[in-house]
Amino acid sequence: MFRATLTVCGGGIAKRLFSSFSGESALPSNLRLPPNLIGVPREKRAFPASTDLPVLRRCEADIPAHLAPVQTWLQSLESRHSEPLGVVDLHPDVFSVPVRLDILHAVEVWQRNFKRISYAKVKSRAEVSGGGRKPWKQKGSGRARHGSIRSPIWRGGGVAHGPRGPTSYYYMLPMKVRVQGLKIALTSKLAQDYLHIVDSLEIPTPDPHYLQDLAKHRQWGDSVLIVDVGEEFPQNILQATESLKTINIIPAIGLNVHSMLKHESLVLTLEAVKFLEKKLLWHDTRFTPLYPFKLPYSDLP
Amino acid sequence: MAAPFRSVFMTLSPGGLIRSGIAAPAGSVANARACLRSEHSSTGGRGVDESVDEYKYVERLVPPSRIPSPPKHEGSAPSGWTPPPETPPSLPYMIRRSRMHNVPVYSDIKHGNQKSTLVRKVEGDVWALNKDVKEFLQQLTGRETATQVNEVTGTVRIKGHFEKELKAWLIQRGF
Repeated sequence: MFRATLTVCGGGIAKRLFSSFSGESALPSNLRLPPNLIGVPREKRAFPASTDLPVLRRCEADIPAHLAPVQTWLQSLESRHSEPLGVVDLHPDVFSVPVRLDILHAVEVWQRNFKRISYAKVKSRAEVSGGGRKPWKQKGSGRARHGSIRSPIWRGGGVAHGPRGPTSYYYMLPMKVRVQGLKIALTSKLAQDYLHIVDSLEIPTPDPHYLQDLAKHRQWGDSVLIVDVGEEFPQNILQATESLKTINIIPAIGLNVHSMLKHESLVLTLEAVKFLEKKLLWHDTRFTPLYPFKLPYSDLP
Repeated sequence: MAAPFRSVFMTLSPGGLIRSGIAAPAGSVANARACLRSEHSSTGGRGVDESVDEYKYVERLVPPSRIPSPPKHEGSAPSGWTPPPETPPSLPYMIRRSRMHNVPVYSDIKHGNQKSTLVRKVEGDVWALNKDVKEFLQQLTGRETATQVNEVTGTVRIKGHFEKELKAWLIQRGF
């Protein structure tokens, strides 16, 4: 199944990345679309010019003098047809970093493998029972010489170089690499128009069809990841997402690169954006740890 | 924000009240005496002094986690450090300061004899910076210097040790 992305470029494009992700105004001339193409090309809402609309949220942290905040629409989940409420500012050092695909790949591979323990184990010739005695004498029997019936060349013998015992594939990437991976994932989502900012997660009904309908109408994609800060979520959205496989809700501390790549679209609340900016920007101006950050420092938590 | 937990300093006094040797404001001492006296009377024989005031001496030793921004200097500081200007220069590229507010130029040596200088944290047009660096070093040394540009990471590696000169040049250009 293919989906063609048609983007209508607006005024704020200078701030966005023109990498291999975002398409030009027309599809490339050498693109051949199959005749049985499913799905409507996504039409991106034209980006607002930064001057006329009031900005509903400014960044708390200082922005470097040579950068300007990235802007995006603020939406609401109240009704299917509700228009965007306004424009919000996002910090460029979190939502507009250079997209390093190698770092993204490294973090994704790390997330898959660091928890892996492979339990495969096979018996070697020492562990297979039997095989202590020389089967026949060395010379004179006319048969090949052997020392034990469980050597690897024998049927039923041990394995010479098999997997040995539970092996752990644990390793840790540097903290700053993992943080950069998160920033790159957020940047990619924003650049590909798969990031949606929402004021709160209040929905009118606990019906899962409402959310699916909303996501389909707003062209959010096949799967949506909803992120909010805190331990309590509104009951409606919890019930709605409980039975759905493709729309999931997680707290902001659970945000990770694998989930962001697995789900097509990412929905953040304003508090989640504030939390992420605060946490991810701290790594840019922190000292190297004298002792683990779990222990108290004078300005943490 | 101060650490959330406070430890309690207990001084056992055999049969009487022992003031802590550290001076405290008169009001708190009076209150401390009042509550100590009541404690002493309730516990009976041995009095136990509870005081959390001394924890401030521990709190002031706990280090911060965030690098502070440097104090304002006009021109260069006595150590030779120059603060970054308020407005960035109007060039097609931008070189940020490191987290310790220094110019990100580093010298490297491999296999004992291969010397190179690395300029990191370049944003914008890296090739324009490469051109400017080559021109500057041409004037400095009189011959062409080999450079390697990495667009993905935003770095320029120059053959030879030119750390001091490049740092001074970048500061003079306004980074």
